[in-house]
Parts: sequence; structure tokens; C-alpha cells
Amino acid sequence: MRPFIAQISRDLDIAWQNRQDVVVMLGFFIIIIALFPLAIGPKSAMLQSLGIPMIWIAALLSSLNGFDRLFAQDVRDGWLDQISLSALGLGWYAVAKAVSHWLTASLPLLLITPILALMLNIATTKLPALMTALLVGTMALTLLGIIGAALAEGARRSSALIAILVLPLAVPVLIFGALAAATDDGIISPHLMLLGAMLALLLAMAPLVAATALKIGETESGI
Amino acid sequence: MTPDRNTQPSAPASGTAVPCLEIDALTVLRGQRLVIDRLTHRQNRGELCILTGANGAGKSTLLRSIAERLPAESGHIKCHLPRVYIGHADGLAGAISGRKNLQSWAAVNDIMVTGADIEQALAGFDAARFADMPVQLLSRGQRRRLALARLLLAPAPSLWLLDEPNTGLDQDNQTRLETAIAAHLLAGGAVMAATHIEMARSAATIHLAIGL
Repeated sequence: MRPFIAQISRDLDIAWQNRQDVVVMLGFFIIIIALFPLAIGPKSAMLQSLGIPMIWIAALLSSLNGFDRLFAQDVRDGWLDQISLSALGLGWYAVAKAVSHWLTASLPLLLITPILALMLNIATTKLPALMTALLVGTMALTLLGIIGAALAEGARRSSALIAILVLPLAVPVLIFGALAAATDDGIISPHLMLLGAMLALLLAMAPLVAATALKIGETESGI
Repeated sequence: MTPDRNTQPSAPASGTAVPCLEIDALTVLRGQRLVIDRLTHRQNRGELCILTGANGAGKSTLLRSIAERLPAESGHIKCHLPRVYIGHADGLAGAISGRKNLQSWAAVNDIMVTGADIEQALAGFDAARFADMPVQLLSRGQRRRLALARLLLAPAPSLWLLDEPNTGLDQDNQTRLETAIAAHLLAGGAVMAATHIEMARSAATIHLAIGL
């Protein structure tokens, strides 16, 4: 457990030193959401029905940003070489990366979402369902991103490649996430349960896939 | 394996060889190119193995294979000691200080270290002066000294895999590195190093020529 915690706290330390990245990503999220009403027009009925899907798409796009640097920095620094010999192991390392990436990239989005929902005129009664769905959904998206980032590691233009790998896989998360958030039958809806099932599946798969991809990836150049 | 750096190493009894690294018919491909062809090597505790060979002969490839960073095409590598790898990249995050880098390295390896242990490791390469600065502000040689300080934090009998360890080091620190290696070998550890620079020789030095 200690190596796992140590990896997370190391990543949080580094993220704190680069905290402007989080501000940029939050700004991106806010601007996307602020642009929609300008394009759609101030008809409140339309905004109400489009508000929740808009928040989901904005969350999806802004959480994609940053995955290209997720492992690249550690590979370039040689930290991955140290990890593969360490007590932590690549699988737990991938989980630790997912946790710290979620804490630094998705949690700020979640925290600011209620204010944006207010801006989009989403009824406050819908907020608990929206937040719960976003909580589960962003975790699933982060795990998908971990897979994409590990597979694309070392490739040129990896950010575009990650988007192509991850976005199609994110479709089910988006569908059930938006349904679970817009539902009228309470917080725990069947859609949310399906979303949770996807999270559970990804939680089991993502560390394995990421660890295998990182292990076989030719990483440091030089013979 | 939870190494405890305070374990007293059982000193290798003179005459009896304790094998720590066994490589059998190792073949490694890099891309489509055959780099290491059926290499067999035995190394005992207390031995220093210097890899010799031209640039591109496969010295780093061998070290990376032993460090589990390159999958072998065929053959086996058996290592009976914890491994510490110092490669071309220093394994330090630029945004945080050298001290934090060392602490997190010890923690992910589940090595219990106190602040005094860290100080001692830093002092081993005279790195305490710049250990609190973000690593990205340091020079090449200073980073290398922080990376080498990891060796002094590692559990006592271990196998050091050193890839050009003296790149960027000044004369004083090369001497410190040689001293550290000598002390490590005496304590029952083993070292495999790829270097073009002459190191102080001892009786237990073996040379392994790499290259097809």
C-alpha cells in the first residue's frame, strides 16, 4: 500500500508544481459550455433539454486533454524504468496514475459543474442525479484514457491518436451517463447501474491492458 | 520482496562463489535487428562486470533486458538480488526537488528510510547543497549525482546495473562513484556497468565483450 500512496502523492506534488495546467483545462471546460448558449440562442426550453448533454460533451473533451502527457513525462524522465523494477509494479502504477489524474483533472470539473448547471438553467432537482452520473462517468473515462495513453505511448502525435482510440470507446459511457443524468426517477436509475457496471469492468481491465502496453512498448531510445 | 536496507549482508566467504545473476542463451531483438545473440553469463556476489564493446554493440540493451525494460526473444535471466538500474535517463521528475525524488523512489520500492538515510545518501555524492531545488534547474552532472544517490539508498546486497554512470560527473564525483562501487562489492553486492571510462580495477573485475 505504501508504494501506491507514494506514487499518488508524487504525482500530486508534480501536478501542484504545474497547477496552471489545471486552470487552463478548467477554462477550456467553462468556455465550451459558455459558447453553446451563444450559438443556440437564449430559448430556455431548448437550453434545458440540451444542458446536460452539453456538460457531458465538455467534460469528455476536456478530460481527454492531458492524457498524452500522462505517461510520456515518466517515460522521458526514466521514472518508468525505476517503476518496472520497484515493489509497486506497472499494474498498480497505472491505477495510481488513474487516481491522481482523476483527482487533478476530473475533480475540479465536478466541483465547478453546479455553477455551470445554474448558468444553463438546469433545474436544481436534477443536480444530484447529474453529479452522481458525472462522478461515475468521469472515473470510467479516466480509466479509458489510461488505456489509450499507454497504447499510444511513444507514438508521434500521440494526443490525436489517443482521441481516436478513446472517443469511440467512450460512446457507451456518454450514452448511459447522459441518460442517467437526465432521468426523472431518482438518483439510482438503471442507466446509472449500467454506468457503474462499465466502471467495474474498466477497473478490472484498464490496469492490465495499460501495464502490458507499457511493458512491451519500446520506450527509451539508444542501444 | 520487501528489502530492508538495515539487513546486515552476509559477506561472501572467500573461495565460495555465490551466484547472483544467471543469464542463459539470451537473445534480444531491437526492432527487427538482432542485438544480443545467445549470451550466457554468470556473475557472483562481490564481482564487478564491465561491459565492453563499441557504440551500438548492445551494452544498454543487455542492461535494459536485465532491468526488465526489454522483453527477451528467447533465453532466461535469473537474478537473485534486488536490482537497481541507473540508465541514460536519471529517473528524476523535473518539477520537484531532488530530496522528494529520492523519498518517493524509496517509497515506491517499499524501502524504509529516515531523513538521516536520505542525508547520508545525498552526502555520498555531495548533493545536499542542491537537493532542495527543483531538478529542472540543475545541471546534467548534478542530476546524475542525485540519480546515483539512489544506489546508496538501495537495500544492502543488491545488483547495480549502471549504464554510463559517469556521464557528466566531475573528477571528484567519479572518485566517489568508484569508492561507492568498491564498498558495495565488499559488502557482498554486485555491479554490472557499461562504461568507456577506466574504473579502479580490483581482482573481482570481469569483462564481458558485447557485440556480434
